[in-house]
Amino acid sequence: MSDRDVLIVGGGPAGLSAALSAAQGGLRVALVDEHTELGGQYFKRRHPAVVARHGDFRPAGTRLVTAVRQAGVDCLTGHLVWGVADDGATLLVAGPDGAPHALRARFTVLATGAHERVLPFPGWQLPGVVTAGLALHLATIDRVPVGRRVLLAGTGPFLLPVACALLEVGVRVVGVAEANHPYRLGRHAAASLRYPARLRELAGYLATLVRHRVPVWQDTYVLSASGPDRLRQVTLGGRHAGTVEADVLCVGHGFRPNVELARLLGCETRPDPVVGEPVPVADVVGRTSRPDVYVVGEAAGIAGVHAARARGQAAALDILARTGRAVPPARQRRVHARVRRLARFAALTEALFPPPLHLLDGIPDDTEVCRCEQVSAGEIRATAGLAHNGLNATKGFTRAGMGLCQGRECGTAVACLTRAANPHAPAEAFTARMPVRPVPVTALGVPPRHAAGADRGRPAGGGTPGGEVVR
Amino acid sequence: MSVHIHVDGRRVPVPEGISLAAALVGSGHWTFRRHAVSGRPRGPFCGMGVCFECELTVDGQPGVRACLAHVRDGMRVETCPPTDPDDPSGGDVLAAAPGAGTTEEGRGV
Ligand code: FES
Repeated sequence: MSDRDVLIVGGGPAGLSAALSAAQGGLRVALVDEHTELGGQYFKRRHPAVVARHGDFRPAGTRLVTAVRQAGVDCLTGHLVWGVADDGATLLVAGPDGAPHALRARFTVLATGAHERVLPFPGWQLPGVVTAGLALHLATIDRVPVGRRVLLAGTGPFLLPVACALLEVGVRVVGVAEANHPYRLGRHAAASLRYPARLRELAGYLATLVRHRVPVWQDTYVLSASGPDRLRQVTLGGRHAGTVEADVLCVGHGFRPNVELARLLGCETRPDPVVGEPVPVADVVGRTSRPDVYVVGEAAGIAGVHAARARGQAAALDILARTGRAVPPARQRRVHARVRRLARFAALTEALFPPPLHLLDGIPDDTEVCRCEQVSAGEIRATAGLAHNGLNATKGFTRAGMGLCQGRECGTAVACLTRAANPHAPAEAFTARMPVRPVPVTALGVPPRHAAGADRGRPAGGGTPGGEVVR
Repeated sequence: MSVHIHVDGRRVPVPEGISLAAALVGSGHWTFRRHAVSGRPRGPFCGMGVCFECELTVDGQPGVRACLAHVRDGMRVETCPPTDPDDPSGGDVLAAAPGAGTTEEGRGV
């Protein structure tokens, strides 16, 4: 495996861009992605049968994937990177058939993306309550409306394109409840934003919603969702408090970077200022505290698709320069300037749409916070408050965050509830553990050389947070 | 254009090439499974392979995430896992998060 120069984890916009620039510059590149198709979430590909019916979706993604393949990148789709071997550098991988592989290259670029954050409320585990991202994939990739009467709620610019995509497939969007107050919505004028020039794209979505008479309720949030065995009704609080009949509720409170691999590789992290969750420390080209590891795209901090592509490119150019390839300094400067400009834009967006963490103070004790293990807000509060437990101790006692999703869905909420109940709890995140995703057991046993690394990932019993982090 | 899948024994026509989650939701199926402990209904949530809420049994194989699978003609889908505790299927497919039981073994043990 060491004959490869660059190993890229994640085939979304950032990973694809890094792979293309690196391969075009003459490096031997492998790109690993757990899904069967390249593209990641943003450039997720339609099945050929859907393309035949509805045409291509985001053709820029198709072009990028094609270019990457033509550039000779070794594309290992269906390969899940689940851990790091004892040497602290070799990545442990489960192949499509569950067979174990070990991959290593001179440079590793982590482009592991992000997942949607949802802050829990009573009833969020009811069928019919979904992330905005699920609704978007159904509308765009499958061309299937997620429901008939759909309410969107949460915070973030992402809710608007999702609402528009739902309108396109014939969904009746009953409203968008935005927990913050980022928009200026005049009675007569078309909708605009506080920073119209910067967020022009969003102004377009707002105009579409106004045209379809979809109300955007600002300073408004979900109090609870209810229904017998699937969603029927949503209760809203805040400025536009009331009840709304809907068969589907799409929620999203921004995105969380997937940082487990960066943490397992020992890359330094810092708590992000809003939520306190760890994000890898990386410079403009994605270099981490480890000279051979880069983090790019949403995994390096949420900044959107354009930033993801620019960061991927910046990392590739840096590696090319470090391996003695001629890279025009002007080209590097241009890419760096673009990364910085898009980072400023991301900071602006973040300031307009902070996750409404204060809502967690108000959720009733019987709210199921950990969906997998069914741990309630009350159990978490009691455990954290009783013994001055920190996050990982609270996890150990309550099992919150120990299910199959490995705390990805409840992590933010458990951390916030713990800190609210125990102000002395340090700002920490769930310990990064192997496997970073559930993997077939066959992948854990071999290769024998790395068996020790795999064993470390096995339960040590009782859910005690241990020292599993390699390095 | 259309293929047929079998959902709990019922034949359902669905558009070719869509995800299994889209096919089920699009045909009105929202309960994909029941929580192993509470028995409460669960449906797809994240749509990107993260939450594992959309797991169901496909052609006899348990633990298939519907949001990541595509429909195939003749596919057999069971939306609730076998409730027989002696049923051996399901236990050996996934290695759970370390320090974490699967939901089946998780609580009350
Ligand atoms: S819906 Fe979350 S894993 Fe499929």
